[in-house]
Amino acid sequence: MSYAQPSLMPSFTRPESRVAIVRSASYDRGLATLLFDALREFDLPVNGKKVLLKPNFVEPDPEGIINTHPAVVAAVRDAFLRRGAASVRVAEGPGHERDTESIVETIRLRDYLGPLQDIFVDLNLDEVHAVDLRTRASRLKRLYFPRTVLEADYIVSLPKLKTHHWAGVTLSLKNMFGIVPGCCYGWPKNVLHWAGITGSILDINSTVRPDFAIVDGVIGMEGNGPIQGTPKASGVLILGNDPVAVDATCARVMGLAPERIDYLAKAGVLLGHIKPEKIRQLGESIASVKTPFAVLPAFQKLIAADGKKVP
Amino acid sequence: MTSGPLHNSYFRDFLITNQNTDGGWGYHPASASSVEATAWALTALISSRHSPPLSDVCARARDWLLRVQRADGSWPALPGHPQGCWATSIVSRALYLQGGAQKAVESGLRWLINAWPSEGNFWWRLRQSIFPSRVALQDSSLRGWNWTPGTASWVEPTAHALIFLRSLPAPMLSPQAAKRRQLAERMLFDRMCPGGGWNSGNPLVYGVAGVPRIGPTAWALMALRDFSERAEVQMSLQWLEAAYGEIHGAASLALANLSLAAYGRRVFRLAPALDEMYSHNRFFANVLTIAWVVLALNEEMSGVAPTAEEAATR
Repeated sequence: MSYAQPSLMPSFTRPESRVAIVRSASYDRGLATLLFDALREFDLPVNGKKVLLKPNFVEPDPEGIINTHPAVVAAVRDAFLRRGAASVRVAEGPGHERDTESIVETIRLRDYLGPLQDIFVDLNLDEVHAVDLRTRASRLKRLYFPRTVLEADYIVSLPKLKTHHWAGVTLSLKNMFGIVPGCCYGWPKNVLHWAGITGSILDINSTVRPDFAIVDGVIGMEGNGPIQGTPKASGVLILGNDPVAVDATCARVMGLAPERIDYLAKAGVLLGHIKPEKIRQLGESIASVKTPFAVLPAFQKLIAADGKKVP
Repeated sequence: MTSGPLHNSYFRDFLITNQNTDGGWGYHPASASSVEATAWALTALISSRHSPPLSDVCARARDWLLRVQRADGSWPALPGHPQGCWATSIVSRALYLQGGAQKAVESGLRWLINAWPSEGNFWWRLRQSIFPSRVALQDSSLRGWNWTPGTASWVEPTAHALIFLRSLPAPMLSPQAAKRRQLAERMLFDRMCPGGGWNSGNPLVYGVAGVPRIGPTAWALMALRDFSERAEVQMSLQWLEAAYGEIHGAASLALANLSLAAYGRRVFRLAPALDEMYSHNRFFANVLTIAWVVLALNEEMSGVAPTAEEAATR
């Protein structure tokens, strides 16, 4: 199977990245218009293409705290269809919960998207193909990836703005763990932890790099994320054409220093930009929306010098 | 959709119709045969007591599973994968129930007994002694089974192995098998979430109690049926009963019913809830879900599991 491999280039040769911050205090109906307008700032080569949205659906969560909110998923899908995409599918391979149907039903995804059979793909149970990883940051060398992912023309990572008790933060790069199929590696995909989380994030994203990222920070999660943390109303959507730059911007909004987050610092070498001077900021400024997130004691070192320290 | 026996036959016929020409099943119709999906479809069809027996369908499934068994006795997740995995327990049990594959079952059993998870080995203990984990506090000397080689024990693969071992007659179990079974049972009790129930295998993270989930709880309970009097089991059954009303997926519903029925607990008739769920997403045509639904419906029809009304009178 052939698929479009992402470009790996040293950051000094990579063109400037574009990241937009959009305020949204709630998940109401205005979200679709808001996102459609925000996406106009970007040259999205999706006309006639198969677009794949990869949200972060982790566990059944009736409170809407853990997972990417379905209103965001629906709004993004609508926006990409309006931009001319031939198809926009939603795909996820939850890391802990085998009953994916129970997650999508609990979060009422069907209420937002309509019948799901032809829209949603459970990546844990998709057909797979072995792919040699393009980097050797972990000891994995090769992984099986779902056919739906490999055949997509354009991949959009759609994570939630959250802290993470192993990785520090989980954003658009860490979200790509969800494309690793449970049918090959189990629930959780423990092989990624044993191979090293940082290295695995880098190897996966160097091989199947999202083309675009949109982070649901309307309500994020701080503290003991990604499951047992506390809701954090941040009131933002952060989007851009470089997932590394988007994640770096998210970290700054959270009051964290991206260069201190191991996998982000390393991603900034070959996968995208984390330096502010290489990121063209659109929409709101970081300073105007900054909302310091509480982090676990093990991650206090991630707090930016000007960030508010939270016990 | 209709209720009762026809409901059951609908899903059973779905499995029969969607068997691949090679004898296996994929996770979805027309997808490449997968070991786990084939093992569960076979297990479901064996339990269906179809008349006339589904000999041909089951024999073709058995033959496919025998063809993809690895030389070391294990089964990979998909044909051609380079290593054995958790599916070995599920296939071995399916073949044992089907019969006619004694040698394959024995070699699967041997592999399983010698397959140790990676936590608790020398290098892991050395690393832990230098950099002790403060994240997940659990007794790592209690080891069960992992999803894939080179990783740690988790609740579900451990439960599958125990369910397989439990299905075998005592003479088939070596002293080492008995020891591993005992160790794995202790591991499951150690990994129970505070208050009952199980998640994938982290009952406490940074001192915060993990949230139990339906699937792992159902599997763990089915694996621990010999301990029905233990407080942990009773507590977990209570958790499962309390959570039952909030189940939104057919797979979880089927597993919860199988688990509660195994303990003679009150269960509700599946058909109405399944009708409702099926109308939503048609179970995403997930062969695994449908196999578990067939197993649960068969259990219900067999009379082993009480209906809601019967259970209420007990």
